[in-house]
Amino acid sequence: MRSRRAQLRAEIEAHRQMIEDQLLREGMSPRDAAAAARRQFGNESSAVEDSSDEWPLTWLSTLLRDVRFAARVLRKRPGLTLTAILIAGLGVGANTAIVGVLRAALLKPLGLQDSDNVVVASVRMEKIKLLHAETSGVEFRELHAMNDAFQSLAAMEGRAWTYESGGQAGNNASRLRGRAVTPEFFTVFHERPHLGRFFNADDNNSLVLSYLLWKSQFGADPNIVNRTVLLDRVPYRIVGVASPTFRFPANADAWSSLRLAPGRLRQRGYNMNLTLVARLKDSVSIERAQDRVNRHVAALKSAPDGKELADYGYFVDLEPFSRYVAGDLRRPLWLLWAAALAVLLTACANIAVLLLSRTAGRRREIAIRLSLGATRVQILRQLAVESTMLGALGGIFGIALGAAALSFIGRLTLPGKPILELASLDLRLVLYAIAISLVCGFAFGLAPAIQLARGSQTTALSRAGRHRFQDLFIAAQIAAALVLLISTGLLLRSLWTLERIQPGFDPSRLTTAFFLIPPGDPGFVARVEQKLRSSPGVEASAIAYPIPFTGGGLTSSFNIVGRRQPASGLAWHGEAYFVSPGYFDALRIPILRGRNISPADTGTAPRVCLIDAKFARRFFPGEDPIGHEIGMYWKARIIGIVPDVRSSTLEEESRATVYYPIAQQSSSSFAAIVRTQGPGAPIIRAAVRAASPSSPVYDVQTMDERIGESLGIRRTVATLVCVFACLCILLAAIGLHGVVSQVVGERAGEIAVRMALGARPAQILSQFLTYGLKSGAAGLAIGLALAFYAQGWLGNLLFNVKPFDPATFLEACVGVILVLAAAVFRPARRASRLSPHAILRHE
Amino acid sequence: MARELLPGTLDMLILKTLTRASNHGYGIAQYIQRVSSDALRVGEGSLYPALQRLLNAKWVRAEWGESETGRRVRLYTITPSGRKQLENEQAEFGVTIAGIMRVMEAM
Repeated sequence: MRSRRAQLRAEIEAHRQMIEDQLLREGMSPRDAAAAARRQFGNESSAVEDSSDEWPLTWLSTLLRDVRFAARVLRKRPGLTLTAILIAGLGVGANTAIVGVLRAALLKPLGLQDSDNVVVASVRMEKIKLLHAETSGVEFRELHAMNDAFQSLAAMEGRAWTYESGGQAGNNASRLRGRAVTPEFFTVFHERPHLGRFFNADDNNSLVLSYLLWKSQFGADPNIVNRTVLLDRVPYRIVGVASPTFRFPANADAWSSLRLAPGRLRQRGYNMNLTLVARLKDSVSIERAQDRVNRHVAALKSAPDGKELADYGYFVDLEPFSRYVAGDLRRPLWLLWAAALAVLLTACANIAVLLLSRTAGRRREIAIRLSLGATRVQILRQLAVESTMLGALGGIFGIALGAAALSFIGRLTLPGKPILELASLDLRLVLYAIAISLVCGFAFGLAPAIQLARGSQTTALSRAGRHRFQDLFIAAQIAAALVLLISTGLLLRSLWTLERIQPGFDPSRLTTAFFLIPPGDPGFVARVEQKLRSSPGVEASAIAYPIPFTGGGLTSSFNIVGRRQPASGLAWHGEAYFVSPGYFDALRIPILRGRNISPADTGTAPRVCLIDAKFARRFFPGEDPIGHEIGMYWKARIIGIVPDVRSSTLEEESRATVYYPIAQQSSSSFAAIVRTQGPGAPIIRAAVRAASPSSPVYDVQTMDERIGESLGIRRTVATLVCVFACLCILLAAIGLHGVVSQVVGERAGEIAVRMALGARPAQILSQFLTYGLKSGAAGLAIGLALAFYAQGWLGNLLFNVKPFDPATFLEACVGVILVLAAAVFRPARRASRLSPHAILRHE
Repeated sequence: MARELLPGTLDMLILKTLTRASNHGYGIAQYIQRVSSDALRVGEGSLYPALQRLLNAKWVRAEWGESETGRRVRLYTITPSGRKQLENEQAEFGVTIAGIMRVMEAM
């Protein structure tokens, strides 16, 4: 198919030749005929042009023409254009970044391909406030049998191994984290191995490597499968490598095969270390699966031996995998998204106001175009192209901003939430950004377009209409800004309250790190302790397990010798720490009564313990606890009392706590604590290396960092909401400033007349100040109403702040009013300084 | 003697020409010139734009064929909607002409 133009040219050429043929037939010489035909025919190419002018314009050429025209218009007012692009870019960028994080955290947890139908089961025992507990082997067995609800189900259990890459003699030890998983684990996630295979029921001491570990530790060796590696000096056979996208749990280096001993499948409530993941059958909703589990649990409770379960308030809960992964980040992230959306909306409103004021200026140009025969549709299309172009340019800027913000967010660390590292700008996110910028472009072009569509109204009327639009947008912006400011205030107040809480010990200059105990070396811990004490620069040191702000103490039930268990039948629960004699000194925790642990409290000496004041108040009210015996892990005599210490988070008071001498317990890992003037990490590393060259040191952090991390989410959310609030109020101020300036410009004549008639500048100033603040008042009212509703979103991010904290609300309102007054002041003052002479002459 | 056509009549003349038979541009110009006894002469500069206009309006369609002398030419055929358009134009033209004549002969 030749082009239309080529056909036309060929057709006209044929016409000329036929004239020539005719002349030849009439007896002309060929040369004369050709010349005559050309003469007679006239200009061939102009015939082609004239004819092609008859073709209707294609949509593409119309669009190109509109785009060219729009580019010219936008270039003519670079200030306005740049402002609009900047504003739109901020809105789009903030939104893109937040959605990127949201998607990583909520929609596509850990890059898993297909996790919509995956659920996680946990145990809840209401009566002892045990929520979201891991399960024992019994729940695994019972849920595994429910094949009418679950396609596949697997259990996993935490593991940490010492891997010595240099073999037995090597001193190149590293610590690997991972999970032991039952064979169906990878089936649940619909995963395929990158190399080799996943587990089957016969596997024992088999290992699947994560893609990252395979690359970093094994040089991406393609023949890795069937090699044997030593983990904790036990041989494991590598059977496969997981795919690059599989990162669950996020910090897993490897997965080993898990076989649950038959005894473990029968003892409910013991060894509750299993996380159950399951894929629902396609036709089964999570609610139906939960019903199925509830029926089973109800049957268990009503069985003859089920009284204990009923007493504990035992339940098994299912939750969607995405919620399990994102946990308490969910609400803050939705909040941030709402905030980013508010910024985007104010940005749109702002640009709409800008464009409205420009439309007013362009009225003349458009009137001329209309009178020259442009149709209203053409003008509207032109305006739409202009605002869409603004939106697109803003979008490009916004995508760049969003990419920068995401790479920044990726570098932020939140404890236990490495998922945020996975947020990155990909094609879909870019598409989202493009979509919102185009929608914005369309949205902020709409208002001026509506204005113009009513172009037949008289100028004064349409001016009133325009102001109505502008007032609406200004109100919306101020409302959004106020809501965000109030949220910021509430979050900051919570943060300050929390930061003032003293944990009960002195965390300054404390460095902490965990290390592994080499097997068969009973003197190891003593050597480390000795070495730490003698290191230069160490003020105090201790060995303990666990340590504060690493997830709390070890939880266990206990009894008190000579006392009957509580009548409810529920066991008492407390937290336990194993500490060296220097612990209380190193953390600056005073001994309230009795004595400290001494070096003489060794494994062979009588077993002793200290309790905290809460334990004493609760179980020995009006009584001296010292000398009593409690049985937790073993029977131990209470020798002293220490104050309460907050040790899992600053928000929560700890439970009744017991401290045991570390020498009376054996474990595979301990933590070292040092208080130093300079950096403490090298001191701990050196001490552990001196005691055993192959023992890895891991999770090195200062205590301030650990406490800070427990506030990390709050800090991040508060900072981001604060940034958004500032953006919003800035945008609102710019918008209001623009509107008032414009009104001053329009009413210059009126002002001049009034001043000529004797109005004082102060009167004019106050008139416009009042005008500006009046248009802000509606926004304030709406914002206050919204804030009352919206603070529910802050939920558990609020700490010790009254739901309707009057101080915060008042401060936010005053803040907004001050900023708005500042925004209005400049144009209002300009109005009061107008020279009536100049204006009246001009008019 | 060649004369300028009344504005708007060329389309009608082309459509009328095509009711006889399909024809190419040269043929259409020749036919109009011959039938009007050389009174009307259609220039290429107005013929081809008119043909494009008629094509856009779908009153004619075009296909490539061969002329009597063996040249590759584009043959135009009137469509049913073209015939309807011709009837309308013819009727309107009749009214206009009659009106003009009455005015001219009223003296």
